[in-house]
Amino acid sequence: MSWRKVKNSVMGLVVAGSAVLLILVLAVILWHIFSSGARYLSWDFFTKPPAPFGEEGGGVVNSIIGTFLITIVAAAIGTPFGIFAGIYVSEHRGQRFADIVRLCADALQGIPSIVIGIFGYTFIVARFRSYSAVAASISLAFMFVPTTARVTEEVLNLVPSGLKEAAYALGARQSSVIWNISIKTAATGITSGLLTSMSRIAGETAPLLFTAFGSRYIEWNMARPMSALPLQIYIYASSPYPSLQQQAWSAAFVLVLLILVLQYVSRKLISRVLRVK
Amino acid sequence: MTAQLSPKDRQERVRERAFTTAGLIAAVTLVATIAIFLVDLTISSRGSRSTFGWSFLWHTDWNPVTEEFGALPMIVGTLITGFGSLLLATPLALGIAIFLADYAHRRIVEPVKYLIGLLGGLPSVIFGLWGLFVLVPLISKFEVWFGHAVGSETLVTAGTTGVGLLASIVLLALMILPYSASLILDSLLVVPNELREGSLALGATKWDTIQNVELPYIRRSTVGAVVLSLGRALGETMAVTMVIGNGMKMPGSLFDPANTLASAIANQFLEATSPLYVSSLIELALILFCISIIINIAARAILRKRTQ
Repeated sequence: MSWRKVKNSVMGLVVAGSAVLLILVLAVILWHIFSSGARYLSWDFFTKPPAPFGEEGGGVVNSIIGTFLITIVAAAIGTPFGIFAGIYVSEHRGQRFADIVRLCADALQGIPSIVIGIFGYTFIVARFRSYSAVAASISLAFMFVPTTARVTEEVLNLVPSGLKEAAYALGARQSSVIWNISIKTAATGITSGLLTSMSRIAGETAPLLFTAFGSRYIEWNMARPMSALPLQIYIYASSPYPSLQQQAWSAAFVLVLLILVLQYVSRKLISRVLRVK
Repeated sequence: MTAQLSPKDRQERVRERAFTTAGLIAAVTLVATIAIFLVDLTISSRGSRSTFGWSFLWHTDWNPVTEEFGALPMIVGTLITGFGSLLLATPLALGIAIFLADYAHRRIVEPVKYLIGLLGGLPSVIFGLWGLFVLVPLISKFEVWFGHAVGSETLVTAGTTGVGLLASIVLLALMILPYSASLILDSLLVVPNELREGSLALGATKWDTIQNVELPYIRRSTVGAVVLSLGRALGETMAVTMVIGNGMKMPGSLFDPANTLASAIANQFLEATSPLYVSSLIELALILFCISIIINIAARAILRKRTQ
């Protein structure tokens, strides 16, 4: 065999090996989360707030409620901005300002989550002199808007231009073309994008550290400090007590499950869009 | 003109205007956000900037007790973990992307891509949890073994906690791997098949083709992907915070506890009591913000030239 052929086979093995390595590591991580997480799950875990210090048991229902509230409010704040920015960029394709908006959306997506957390603190918490769940939602909205804007733009760009041109040819205005043709054609894709963005922010911890702050009680008031699953995982994982560390694994299991469900629904929706095309 | 418009027309015109305005407001808000971030962080770090000036960037002391703050240990920690993880992850990411694009059967490409997406979507704190309870004990064992192997007393006795730069580098590499692998894969998938076939027809082996045709073709987008991954690694917060050990000194070796800009903020912000301490931590956030903006815009510039 010539040197070239030896190299060919060796490199084939090397790239296959790297893929196998990745899959193995991924499998190990997921296995740890599911096995360690599921082992300590109990009814109490889903229905009770944390037990008082020194007592066994307790659950994370306050964090589950908090994650839902904070995520949904963040999405509610961010959705109009994200979708309209996406529409703007898509409708003004090729224009200078639209390019700048797109670049800013990309740059915003790259801002480290801890910087967003600090901004949430200096901009909102320090101003109102109190930690609050709504400050966390606003911080997360800053992560939600750029992702949503980019997805909306990409989905809108998939709408066949023939469809839009036909509407224009019939005398339709731009707003009614956007509303009746583009948005309605792209609705499924945009919904899928919204769910993906939600699955991203639902797992964020750093923006919550100095805004939502955490709480040991069930809290429905968005103006007060609130717990969330990622915060709870971080706090319990850093604690020296094995029982709390076990709860961190279980909370991680619940959080991953929530994110997987969001991603699964999003994927189902987007695959429907792509199949129609 | 307006007098001749029917009510329906007028309604449409109002809607038209509302739509345009809403789009413009959203677009302007997006752009303004970056400026607001910059201004807010600059104002909030005023105390630290006026006390230390530019020397904040190269002072090596970070001492909350004497209120001496210099960012160099964190900057060094950020660069070491960022580039270290890049060094580990990039060859693997390339290997995975090449495997999926050129070797794997079509039926396994989709599931593997799905798995990669799954790994990329896991929250940072989950990686941190796994790193803290699974990876760190392994690193600790490795440190003891390594200490015995090189005959270092300090490593065997002092360096056995496992938390520190090395654990952060390995964990970060795992976290950016899916991201850079999928970016590289996307660019490999658009290499024109004619180029591949031409090279194979000339008698080149599969690897010759990859090395001489495909890799040069995707060189620019690979650089872009690596820069984007670097941006992620430099700003990654929770996972690093949980395994790096919150060390405030300049790290002496890869086994030392250290801090990155992000992890220092996450670890210390809630304990910071004095205004100068708080504004120093906010200045760290300002540095991190500027680094990430520069890196992201550079990466987009690299990637854009490729598509033109």
